[in-house]
Amino acid sequence: MKSTYTLLKLEFRNNFGVFSLKDKKMVKKTIGTAIFVIVFYLFLLWASEVLFEMFAKEGLAYEILVFLFTAMFLFFVLSGISSTSKVLYYKGDNEMLMRLPVKGYEVFISKTLYLIINQILLTGVVLVPVMFAYSNVVEVPKQFLKLIPAATAFIVFIPFFISNLLAIPAMVLTNKIRHRFGLVIVIMVIGVTVMFTVYMMLFESMVTYLKGQSFSVFDPEVVQVFKQVASYCYPTKYFADLVLQRSPVVALFLLMLISLFLLFLNILLVVFVYQKTLLKNIEIEGSAYRKKRGRFVHRSIFSTLLRKEFLQVLRSVNYSFQYFVLAFSMPVMVYFCNEIAIKIGRNDIGDKIILGLTLLVMLIFNTVIISFSATSITREGDNFYHTKVIPVSIRKQLAAKFTMYLFISILANAATTALIIYRKQIGLLEGVWLFGIIQFIGISLTLRSMKMDVKRPKFNLSGQGELVSGNVNTTASVGLGFAVSVIIGILAMLISYLLDSFFAINTEVLSVDQWMLVIISGISLIFGIYCILSYQINLKKHYNRIT
Amino acid sequence: MLEIKNLYKKYLNSERFAVENLSLELKEGEIFGFLGKNGAGKSTTLKCVTGIYPFNGGSIKVCGKDIREESIDAKLNMGYVPDNHSVYEKLTGREYINYIADLYRVSKFDRMEHFTRFVRMFRLSHAVDTQIKSYSHGMKQKICIIAALIHQPRLWVLDEPMMGLDPQSMVEIISYMREHCKQGNTVFFSSHNLDLVAKLCDRAAIIHEGKLHDIIDLTVKGNKETLEEDFLSITREEEEG
Repeated sequence: MKSTYTLLKLEFRNNFGVFSLKDKKMVKKTIGTAIFVIVFYLFLLWASEVLFEMFAKEGLAYEILVFLFTAMFLFFVLSGISSTSKVLYYKGDNEMLMRLPVKGYEVFISKTLYLIINQILLTGVVLVPVMFAYSNVVEVPKQFLKLIPAATAFIVFIPFFISNLLAIPAMVLTNKIRHRFGLVIVIMVIGVTVMFTVYMMLFESMVTYLKGQSFSVFDPEVVQVFKQVASYCYPTKYFADLVLQRSPVVALFLLMLISLFLLFLNILLVVFVYQKTLLKNIEIEGSAYRKKRGRFVHRSIFSTLLRKEFLQVLRSVNYSFQYFVLAFSMPVMVYFCNEIAIKIGRNDIGDKIILGLTLLVMLIFNTVIISFSATSITREGDNFYHTKVIPVSIRKQLAAKFTMYLFISILANAATTALIIYRKQIGLLEGVWLFGIIQFIGISLTLRSMKMDVKRPKFNLSGQGELVSGNVNTTASVGLGFAVSVIIGILAMLISYLLDSFFAINTEVLSVDQWMLVIISGISLIFGIYCILSYQINLKKHYNRIT
Repeated sequence: MLEIKNLYKKYLNSERFAVENLSLELKEGEIFGFLGKNGAGKSTTLKCVTGIYPFNGGSIKVCGKDIREESIDAKLNMGYVPDNHSVYEKLTGREYINYIADLYRVSKFDRMEHFTRFVRMFRLSHAVDTQIKSYSHGMKQKICIIAALIHQPRLWVLDEPMMGLDPQSMVEIISYMREHCKQGNTVFFSSHNLDLVAKLCDRAAIIHEGKLHDIIDLTVKGNKETLEEDFLSITREEEEG
């Protein structure tokens, strides 16, 4: 028992560090986290109230609670699979613990307790404000708030047991598709796009509701679909039944039955499978890619550099997500954001700012993918010496990296522009012009970000030599990108507005929008020249200083 | 083959020179050992030679090409094996060697011939098409050595080359170093292993606190036997002094 407690303490210290008032950095971090939790709590309370009001108005108060529990349930199962694989099966950690004079089951229990305590805290932070918001908006039974701990317990344990059972098959499946890099990217793009679409649709409904533009947010058919779907949400509808006291005894009995059954399966798993799985090393088995038929291909220096850069990103789930997935999800993200922005902008100001608004939205999303170039040198990590030893100039090496960024941004921007033209958010000519401006500003920002990294690379890579945590250059690149996006976007809207309202410009040759595009093109050109020059000047000198 | 003249290297924010007024000349066809304690300046010198570190003063020429002025030409004549065996681990062994061969402009025929030979020599055939991240410490060291040799460099520079290698591979490397030098090339390596240097090298230099203290001709009778004594007397004298 004492060993279990010590191991549990070790697990917490390993993940959260040791709190000490003397450690100023730790104190600041704790205060920061506390402020974040409070702000998050208040925001969640407000957003939940709006959401519940919107659904309650349609007679969907019960259904939204079922959906909410379902969403939480799915999130906990999925995140549980990931954390279970890491905490219970990760080889490095277990190998170290197994060397200590402790029993295998003590390691298992301490790690399981860590996961459960973590889950309870997370659920508490999310569920409590949501339930309070619900009770503020909807008329609930007296027992409602008292039953929250019971609901919390079930929503922690049931997903936990399920994710424990699914962790091993998930690891086996992951190993099977791990090296189908293209497929992994497609799956991630679909996942991100679907989640973003659902989020934006919900957000759009809330915006419509808040602006009070329509009496009913949902069509009657949609309301019926919601009701039907909610009636099939097993076992999560029992959570709602329990707290809302709709057949509470049946709900409680079924939830307990499910929990006990899953517990039994988990005991079987621990007794018969856990240790075998650890010994078989499933978590990392097959983690290295093996090419079936390796062969030699002679390539030019530039194309071999470009290929290496591409493979380094493609074969890393972390980098693929940070770059390829976000770039390829961009069209859908821009489309939905622009749709809402246009709706708000059109109603509040008028049609004249639509093109400027679209420019702003596209530039902001571009900034996110451009920030990847701010780690061009940093990502080399321990391999940085290669860049100095090989008989290739640094300009050529950076040009290869830049070519990859350019290629990906052209693909993402072209797809985005095509989608918004197709959906008639903007016209064809304006769309093509906008694409040119965005591409040019993107190139400028990419060069600026690359130069930032050449000046001050941070080789603090972790894990498998990858950049997983925040990086100063990435933050600076995002900051600069946002600033440029906002300035140019607002300027574009302002120019259109002023030209239309106060200046009698000749619209026979060019329309107001086209005049605005000419002016913005000129500003972008100046910015571009500045970025190109600042990239070129002293590039080699700064690079040579890196050791 | 390699000419280092009055080399000075100081790290940023450091008070003293890591390498101070170091001059060396390596001839064609010799194996040259570079000895020194930890922090003596061995790796720093090698990193200046290979172009990894900029230096404050002096000059370095590889096959007559200045590493600062004609860096590309100088680097084309050099192969470098680092002490930390860092390689692009997302690539397979073959992809990595192919990448290096492309950069050093090695013809397809030559790279296949050299690759096949080295892979067989280091018994890596089973792993060449697997990602390097799954390689052991020794296997990574071997793939670094193959990468450094794929273009048959005139000057082969190695930083602590025997670390992490199995005895059989060590024997193969020693044998290949000799063969490489017989073809008129030069090997320049740093080591802590006095026995290895005595057994293998034609000459050895001893560096201590950034300064070159002695260059010993190991082909002269009796010098191999006294190498350890010489090394210890130089490093001990300094400490006592």
